[in-house]
Amino acid sequence: MPDLPALNPVVHGRLRLALLSLLSGVEEAEFTWLRAKTEATDGNLGAQLLKLEEAGYVAVEKKFVLRKPQTLYRITETGRQALTEYVQALKQLLGPAMDA
Amino acid sequence: MQDHTTEQELKDRLSLIESMIAEGRRNTESWGWTFVLWGAVYYLAIAWSAWGHSVWAWPVTMLIAVIVTIGVASLKAGNHPETTLGRAIGSIWIALGISMFLLFLALGLSGRLTDQHLFVAVISAMLGMANGASALILRWKVQFACAVVWWVAAVTTCLGTDAQSMIVFLAAIFLCQIVFGIYGAIAEAQERKPRGPIHA
Repeated sequence: MPDLPALNPVVHGRLRLALLSLLSGVEEAEFTWLRAKTEATDGNLGAQLLKLEEAGYVAVEKKFVLRKPQTLYRITETGRQALTEYVQALKQLLGPAMDA
Repeated sequence: MQDHTTEQELKDRLSLIESMIAEGRRNTESWGWTFVLWGAVYYLAIAWSAWGHSVWAWPVTMLIAVIVTIGVASLKAGNHPETTLGRAIGSIWIALGISMFLLFLALGLSGRLTDQHLFVAVISAMLGMANGASALILRWKVQFACAVVWWVAAVTTCLGTDAQSMIVFLAAIFLCQIVFGIYGAIAEAQERKPRGPIHA
């Protein structure tokens, strides 16, 4: 029996996984859009995004638009790779149960 | 980690990934209203040019529609992320808007906007092209049906009488702008149904 793959703990967190998945489909997204899509609280969302940023999975850009602060997030190549590997590991772990 | 993770949790993660990727790729902007707006503007322009006999009817109404569309879209776009798909679709409609504005402004001012059949054929073919391109990118059968209606209108207006040409044009506007716009707005509202919060 082949060794079962380990799931990346940074990606595995439910909110972090949702954030990486959301960001994989867009070029970049504002904090407010991510909050609306996940319905997470500001504090929780900020903390999870910081973990993803520290892991190098998301890049952050802060700028001012019409004098209002805007924080933009985008998935990095490392983050995209981590998400792909996580999905592969997940499918391998589920195996035949995928069809059930 | 997986020792403590149940099969159901793993399946839940997989379904979360699928739903979030779909959520991110979904065109989160609301465009149904623009079809209705432009449909109403076409009717206004037709009525103005028919009863007012003004060369300014089409250029002025097109300009107003462009300004309103850009204004409302920029207000609504503030909280939406940019996607390649969204930019591709947006580019088609922006290019169509600019083409129609410049063409009908030049035709109107030069006094050459006199052949109703040619006018309806050109505007229908342009709308067929934009709807067709958008439908093929989005793989949206309903919008492709609209493109077919516009192409049929473009061809039949060349072959029919003045009255037939106008009836086909008015019917195409109603189906492909008003009805399709309302359908699009309803579909967009259904896509925005609230979902439960995602916790860490």
